[in-house]
Amino acid sequence: MSVLRKPREFLDPQVLARLAGIPLFARHPMQGTVSGRHQSPHRGSSVEFAEYRKYVPGDDPRRMDWRAYGRSDRYYVKEFEADTNLRCCLVLDTSGSMDFGSRGTTKLEYARRILGTLGYLALQQGDAVGLTCIAAGVVRQIPPRRNPAHLSAVFDVLQVARSRGPTQLADTLHELAETVRQRALVVIVSDLFVEPELLRGAFEHLRFRKHDLAVFHLLDPLELDFDFRRPMRFLDMEGGAPIFAEPNTIAERYLAALRLYLDAMKQIVLETAVDYHRVNIDEHYESVLGRFLVGRTRRRGGR
Amino acid sequence: MRFIEPILLAGLVVAALPIIIHLINQWRYQTIRWGAMMFLLAANRMSRGFARLRQWLILLMRVLAIACLVFVIARPLAGGWLALTAGGADTTILLLDRSPSMAEQDSGSGQTKLAAGKRQLADAMSHLRSSRWILIESTTNQPRELESPAALEQLAETGPASASADLPAMLSAAREYMAANQTGRTEIWICSDLRANDWNADDARWEALRSGLAALPQSVRIHLLALARTAPANLSIRATRVRRRETTDGAELLVSLRVEREGNTDRPVSVPIQFEVEGVKSVVNAEFAGSEFELRDHRIPLGRGDINRAAGDLRSQGWGRVSLPADANRADNDSYFVFSEADEQRSVIVADEPAVAEALRLAASVPVDPTERIAAEPIGLDQIATIEWDKTALVLWQAPLPEGEAARQLAALVDRGGQVIFFPPRQAGEAEIFGVRWGAWKEISDAAAGAIDGWRGDEDLLANTQSGQALPVGELKVRKLCSLSGDVTPLATLIGGQPLLARAVTPRGGAYFCTTTPAPADSSLAGDGVVLYVAVQRALAAGAAALGGARQMTAGRVIGDTSDWRRVTGDESVLSTEYAYQAGVYGSGDGLVAVNRSEGEDRAEVLPDERLAGLFRGIDFSRIDADTTSTSPLIQEIWRSFLAAMMAALVIEAWLCLPRPVRSWNPGPVMRAAPAAA
Repeated sequence: MSVLRKPREFLDPQVLARLAGIPLFARHPMQGTVSGRHQSPHRGSSVEFAEYRKYVPGDDPRRMDWRAYGRSDRYYVKEFEADTNLRCCLVLDTSGSMDFGSRGTTKLEYARRILGTLGYLALQQGDAVGLTCIAAGVVRQIPPRRNPAHLSAVFDVLQVARSRGPTQLADTLHELAETVRQRALVVIVSDLFVEPELLRGAFEHLRFRKHDLAVFHLLDPLELDFDFRRPMRFLDMEGGAPIFAEPNTIAERYLAALRLYLDAMKQIVLETAVDYHRVNIDEHYESVLGRFLVGRTRRRGGR
Repeated sequence: MRFIEPILLAGLVVAALPIIIHLINQWRYQTIRWGAMMFLLAANRMSRGFARLRQWLILLMRVLAIACLVFVIARPLAGGWLALTAGGADTTILLLDRSPSMAEQDSGSGQTKLAAGKRQLADAMSHLRSSRWILIESTTNQPRELESPAALEQLAETGPASASADLPAMLSAAREYMAANQTGRTEIWICSDLRANDWNADDARWEALRSGLAALPQSVRIHLLALARTAPANLSIRATRVRRRETTDGAELLVSLRVEREGNTDRPVSVPIQFEVEGVKSVVNAEFAGSEFELRDHRIPLGRGDINRAAGDLRSQGWGRVSLPADANRADNDSYFVFSEADEQRSVIVADEPAVAEALRLAASVPVDPTERIAAEPIGLDQIATIEWDKTALVLWQAPLPEGEAARQLAALVDRGGQVIFFPPRQAGEAEIFGVRWGAWKEISDAAAGAIDGWRGDEDLLANTQSGQALPVGELKVRKLCSLSGDVTPLATLIGGQPLLARAVTPRGGAYFCTTTPAPADSSLAGDGVVLYVAVQRALAAGAAALGGARQMTAGRVIGDTSDWRRVTGDESVLSTEYAYQAGVYGSGDGLVAVNRSEGEDRAEVLPDERLAGLFRGIDFSRIDADTTSTSPLIQEIWRSFLAAMMAALVIEAWLCLPRPVRSWNPGPVMRAAPAAA
């Protein structure tokens, strides 16, 4: 790939090669500027039949289905799906909590791999790729472009992204929903450490703007299991006050709070039709992406 | 609480181990940068109420478990607060109330209060450490050393007795022992049923006792094992008067008796009263509804006295017993009596003035019962040597107080139970007898000042009659009065506070001092002769009872030497050394002696709690209420309880450590796969 002028740590060529065979489909019709792999809200000239429509004066007579006329003695125009490209907006949470990783890999590094790979795959199939880094607000934003050279800029931003500061995820997503034009595939990679009810509004806002919203919810195994043996002093990675806790005494309630949070999150993503993927960063990102891509392929095939 | 192995309590420091481990664990904390703070904050918010308390409870249970284990090893003793305070004394003095009321039995176990008290005391003492064990039982009030507390149950001298207890005297004996032997820290254990008769709460000795105990240099603690519960409906019987009189058919006994019932009940009851005279028994059924039944002059024929006397039979002098069926207290179901052919009750009148002598003669020579033979002999001072002291029951002395041989003879008469009443002479002199001397005469011009202010109607010469009526002492008028100096107990006092009749302190017998004479110029004693007559007759009867061939005595107050006594009837298990304290009939020389419990034992009045507390005010005192039905010892080893407590603490700790029931949580689509590639 000529655009990859220097090796990126978060890209694995073998993974890219394996995943390149699986197309990235949008779940909803997209409004692209050029022909692509994605369904368009408009009729077009693809080979995929869409519907019959009664002929009205002004229609191109070449699109008239003469076989149907022969059978029904009526004029029908045969319409085909229009394929277009999409605008893929990659959203990276760079708040302080993304710097946590108990098994050698931080959530930010894991997010880089997912977003880098997705960006590469999207650009490969002609989609426009943009990147937005968010924390307390929008930290850095690169608008979507189809230009392969643009991918390098995206990778550069991914490369230098650093976890810092508190999270204002909901407000920032509201802002993105307003600023991203047209229909787009919005891919959010974050640990979503905000109140689920706050996210509900942000997700509904994005969906209202007809964006196809996919969320990768990154969680560290230690955050899920809370497997501590000794008293711990927890320093808030986002600048809050530290907490001293005896794991034996608090683990039970911590897990209960986590369970309530995850249950609430599950309910919200179901209600807002978000393509939600809870990811234990102990799992290899290729599996996560493969599941993500295949899932979208199935949906399109079933349509 | 006390421990058999208190040194092992040093191991209690180990109980702090969970706390130390907890603190070390806290000190060894690690620091971690953490992203999911929102869940920690939520967990902290949930950590309220019992959830927060749980951790402290777990720590507490661990400490308790270890502490209990140490206690188990140290072998704790329990007995309520008793085990907290008792024991560890240098000397332990046991005061044992052996009075008849302590023979009251429990209807269930059949155990007497005395036996239950001894058992509980011996058991408790076996757990307490003491260098010396001293027993003071209620009959002799003499301290005796015990080898071990177990001897309390084995000694014959700790069995039931018929003599009343005198708690002030027992405590005085204990105090004197402590003072004489310079004991170290001393504990006094009193085992008693709190009968008012035994405790004499109004006795002036209590005040001296309190100050005496408080003044002792050593620490003194008093524990009272109180067996205060009374048995309702318990019956007691007492032969109040027994007379033998000649009849045309020979002789007969006139027996008066009284049956008392405990409790205030009017339920009719029928009681078979058994009379036994020289082994011949008869039964009279008594039906009564109140708390008291009295039978007067019940006749029991004795047969022809002359025949019996000729045959050497004891019918002219014999013994008898009135009995009730067994009830809650068997010690008050028998009353013994003895009788003899009525001897002449002789009184001697020594008077300066003929008027006084005549008045006294009249009072002393007219018998209450016409069948009784009494004689009063007025003599002058120069005839004193002719007095037959051995046959004299009463001496009425209105002359200068005797000195020399006459005084010695009077003291001997009183010492063997005789009575003497002194009246003041015109010229008093300097002589003194029984610690009392006459002073100057004083004329009382004011009629009001010569009236009687008060007198002892409950006992002694001026006591109320058997029917409860008071003597007309208040009607007496005194015109001249002779002052008195010495240690006396007033029986009647004038309005000014001067005694009219007083009793000197003597161990036996009675020595009375009347501060005026029956002369009409001195008082109305002769004019209103009832009081003088009754007082003289009572003194004569008391003196005759002590001197006669058949004597009635109260257990514990026996006069004279008992070493020659032989048992005629009574409890056969009684030792000969205990005859003076045990009810029964005993032979002494040619005479007979009936020993019975004191009258106070028939009254079940229990000392009220506040009075009891008042007796020991200012003294380290504790009370333990025991019960004859209770089989649990006062003090016992309770290591099993601590072992159970330890196990309970461990079980609770384990339960608290169990994870709280959290609803099954499915982590959802989080799938665990191969570790993330670098």
